[in-house]
Amino acid sequence: MIRGAHVAFRGKDERDLDAEVDYVVVGSGAGGATAAVTLARGGAEVAIVEAGAWRDPEDYPLSSYGGMRDLMDDWGAQVTRGRALWPVVQARTVGGTTVINSAICVRTPDDIFEQWERDHGISGLRSRVLAAEDRVERELTVEEVPASSRGRSNLLAKQGADALGWTDSHYMRRYTEECLGRGQCLQGCRDRRKQSTNLNYVPETQDRGGLVVSSAPVERILSEGTRAVGVTGRFVHPTTRAQGTRFVVRARKAVVVAASATHSPVLLFRSGVASPALGNYFRAHPGTGIFGCYDEPVDMNVGATQGWASVAFRKNPGLKLETLAIPPELVASRFAGGGRELMERLADYRHIAMWCHAVRAESTGTVRAPFFGSRPVVRYELDGRDMLTFREGMKLLARQHFAAGANAILPGIAGMPFKLGKDDLGLLDDAPLDPQRYIAILSHLFGGCVMGKDPRTSVVDARGRVHGWTGLVVADASVIPTNLGVNPQHTIMGLAATFAADLLGG
Amino acid sequence: MIWLVHSAIVILYPRTAALPGAADCDLEAFLLRFRREAAPLVWLGVVLGAVLFHLTPVFTVRVPLPAFMLPPDVADRHASRISGSRIYLVRQSIFLVKLAAGLAWGAHPDVRARFALPALAPDPGTWRQH
Repeated sequence: MIRGAHVAFRGKDERDLDAEVDYVVVGSGAGGATAAVTLARGGAEVAIVEAGAWRDPEDYPLSSYGGMRDLMDDWGAQVTRGRALWPVVQARTVGGTTVINSAICVRTPDDIFEQWERDHGISGLRSRVLAAEDRVERELTVEEVPASSRGRSNLLAKQGADALGWTDSHYMRRYTEECLGRGQCLQGCRDRRKQSTNLNYVPETQDRGGLVVSSAPVERILSEGTRAVGVTGRFVHPTTRAQGTRFVVRARKAVVVAASATHSPVLLFRSGVASPALGNYFRAHPGTGIFGCYDEPVDMNVGATQGWASVAFRKNPGLKLETLAIPPELVASRFAGGGRELMERLADYRHIAMWCHAVRAESTGTVRAPFFGSRPVVRYELDGRDMLTFREGMKLLARQHFAAGANAILPGIAGMPFKLGKDDLGLLDDAPLDPQRYIAILSHLFGGCVMGKDPRTSVVDARGRVHGWTGLVVADASVIPTNLGVNPQHTIMGLAATFAADLLGG
Repeated sequence: MIWLVHSAIVILYPRTAALPGAADCDLEAFLLRFRREAAPLVWLGVVLGAVLFHLTPVFTVRVPLPAFMLPPDVADRHASRISGSRIYLVRQSIFLVKLAAGLAWGAHPDVRARFALPALAPDPGTWRQH
């Protein structure tokens, strides 16, 4: 192996890549990069194998089009199969989704560890995961959104929540360093303020002698019986999607899978892992946004893309509320209507603010390998109880907008009026509970390779090890067996660091 | 196919006194790039959405003509009605066309200027090769 090398796309006319290391880590996002750097710091030879290309901030796109083309998994076209087609948002690039998210840092709530112990037999993780989260916070620099970068949408959200007396209303803590508030989180921070893993843990792994292989989607885990011994696949060109030469990266000690809640289960399916729980218990934070209309310009794209949040409703009814600024490109399709009617609505862009909810949904879905192609098949839909929570979130956001001084709201519900005034708020009490009426997304994903004590209902144990296998560990959101109700990046990093430390300790 | 998609988008995003329309936003060049670069299924979805858009005026405005042959005010009424169709898959298909169009329209310097946003530099489209 070439120590400290980066191997990018190799065409079919180039020689195959064949390397051997102690540990192969599949994926370079929150889980993969954290696992890799932990192993490298422990003196191990590590290879990170990432499906996407390695893009530095200078390479980041500026437009939403470029973001979908260069950073998103499959152009962001992955949607759930179920009653409604809701997008499953994930990145495909070195750094994974940490490149395109808002870097929101929330510690794993205590009740989650209790739930894991009570319902899944997972004990002994709390102190170690929280210690790892402490370390990650120190290393990546976590700060509250600076006052100069808050922007009017975030300020209004705080004002509205405070006016309603919500028990929690705060400016977010994020993995950023002196955020400039350019509103470009979703396309990657070209100012290097967001601490995505392609800027820290991946280069550190490389500096410590690790190999980084990019544009290299893993097709299969190599095994000898039930012992994982490496990975293989073919390079894929970042723009033409042409297949390149084959790569094989062998693992002397273990393969760590951190390819995401949708791709990790599929990779295990394709590699012959036969677990009755594989691909099951997929969960998410489905959510949508409500626009508020204000007399004065809000200019929501000025300031942090996401800067305010509330967890006041995390336990009851099960919601997280946040601001989210989206550019004109995305508002254009998000607004109902077409023709002159649509253009008249869009003319008010400067005066609108979008705030959204993420439902701590108890509904579960499945992830399966497709018969053709590589796109995971995600079946997921919200049950009636979760849809009630979904609607409750819409009502909370609407009240918050009016408390902040909005003159109207745009609920974005098919079949309902485009604009509602304060006196129309009661209409939301009877808003439809059909998922098809909403434009929503699944932003935070969990499960598919869930951890637990019982191999009949879980895929990995409390150290991320796949039941019945040797040298095969999963270290990403797919192991999380419950819905956190908060942004999952910190939990993923804490778990990945803990599992990697366990590997080093034998 | 480009023509079909182009004509649907121009009806969905017409020029108004306040804002440039999609036709003012280098739409042709954008669609050529989009067809070349997008995942094939994404492009196929946009084309199917545009076909649906053109074939449905008989249901929305009761005129048995494709949308590109309608007088502007009737086409505008069709755009409004088909976007809010009660049939989910129809609504989603038009949503996909609107999304693709929005990517071109919303990123155009003239549109961004109307919203007091700075023009975007071109996407580099580069990556680390070594």
